[in-house]
Amino acid sequence: MKKKILIVGGGTAGTMTANNLVNKLMPEIDRGEIEITMISDSKIHVYRPGAMYVAFHKAAGHEFIRDQRSLLMLEVAFKVDKAVEINSKENFVKGASGEIYNYDFLVLATGCEVAPERIPGLKEGGDWFYSYEGAKKIARKFEKLKKGRVLVTVNFPKTPDIPHQCGIAPVETTMMLHDFLVEKGVRDDVEIVYSYPTKSQAVENGLFLQAPTSEVLPSIFDSINVKYKTSFTLSKVDPDKKIAYSQEGEEMEFDILMSTPPFIAAEVIRTSGLSQALDNEGWLPTDRKTLKVKGLDNVYTLGDTVDLSVSKAGGTIHNQVDVLIANIAGELRYGYPTESYDGKVIAIAQMGLQCGMPLWYDYEEDVKPTPCSKLGSFVRLGFNKSLYWAAARGML
Amino acid sequence: MSEEVKVKKTAAMQELEDKMTMLVQTGRLDNLIDLLAVTSDQIEMTTTPIVEKMVHSIDNIASAGFVTENAVRYAKRESAKNEVPSLFGMLKLLKDEDTRKGLAFMLNLTKGIGKQM
Repeated sequence: MKKKILIVGGGTAGTMTANNLVNKLMPEIDRGEIEITMISDSKIHVYRPGAMYVAFHKAAGHEFIRDQRSLLMLEVAFKVDKAVEINSKENFVKGASGEIYNYDFLVLATGCEVAPERIPGLKEGGDWFYSYEGAKKIARKFEKLKKGRVLVTVNFPKTPDIPHQCGIAPVETTMMLHDFLVEKGVRDDVEIVYSYPTKSQAVENGLFLQAPTSEVLPSIFDSINVKYKTSFTLSKVDPDKKIAYSQEGEEMEFDILMSTPPFIAAEVIRTSGLSQALDNEGWLPTDRKTLKVKGLDNVYTLGDTVDLSVSKAGGTIHNQVDVLIANIAGELRYGYPTESYDGKVIAIAQMGLQCGMPLWYDYEEDVKPTPCSKLGSFVRLGFNKSLYWAAARGML
Repeated sequence: MSEEVKVKKTAAMQELEDKMTMLVQTGRLDNLIDLLAVTSDQIEMTTTPIVEKMVHSIDNIASAGFVTENAVRYAKRESAKNEVPSLFGMLKLLKDEDTRKGLAFMLNLTKGIGKQM
């Protein structure tokens, strides 16, 4: 009988998993032994990091959206259906359509979503670039901005040692904003204040979630006249008065609040009973080496939905996916997983509109900040506009 | 004002000096410096719109490769599974919506080439 592999989620993690699984398991597929199905709540695929460029009018947005079917190999059966129930005892996932999807192996790649409503007033008074709607809204505000203050805030999940989506994004966008305002000729009349919460994963009272970068940021910000403020954990926003309040008892006025809002896992995970995360955030308890959901022998996960300390970013998924597919192949071929994830994350950070900084780290070693370069920016651009789609298709 | 500085040469420094000396003596260093200069000039002269256009072309080629690879794998599997079709079998294949979609695409592709000739 055919073994069924079900992938829930059609984002970066789900798509890379599906296509790389097909490549890995081609002999089994040719022999008719394997069936791979993906369900997603959307027929389109969105490359989320592209929204950051939309916020500064460096992209329109449509460049980063494609038809999901066009990104999947033909061997992947694709259905648009929102997963509403995961039954890990009887090995099925139920779709909103009522259809039951049975599985022998399940991959949960449902990502995470912004939850600004978790901070009073943030939804009304704040802006963010983590979605295309949000990026388009803040782009219009930036275009009109002639003077005043842009306040950057960052919120972390309440569950300990879990990052928000794309850890470097607040730094990237602060530097992009500086360049954008210089281009517009209004930088001298706009104050940029970058704030960071008291507790951020491994660092307390710092400016970044890893110590080496946190220590180097003050000199970088000083060089471009960005003010910075540690220990400002956003707790409330007054959208009418345009004041941000911190848990530490401080308040700051703003004209634009460029926030990294709270993030939570997808609804189907939060209601599944599989997560033990605080405040019903929904992060899946994940074995840091095998990438299995803890306690479930035939359920794997990767990407933004895990409770690992590594970045919730495509540069993480690209490394996790090879481990995950090798482990599923190992289980099918030998009866046990064979690979181990070392926490590797590789990316190029956009440090301003024209500068790219390659970065890599793993469970053992933090990011070592290196100088950014024009060439680095071109490589990042190449990835955004072309190589990403090849990576999603399992071509690199 | 110049100052005399004494440096204790390490084994690695000596090795580097030997290799550099060889490059200088054989005239290769001039070429390598030219190469570095050309590379640097290329980076300097490249602009964001140029990179955007280049990567767009690469994406088109990769997408075409992906579609073709998928189609070839499918065709190989189907051909291996089925006998060579009879004339009636061919007509049955033509009745299939996906076949007609693919054929229409190929005909439009031919038309597109024709328009450029």
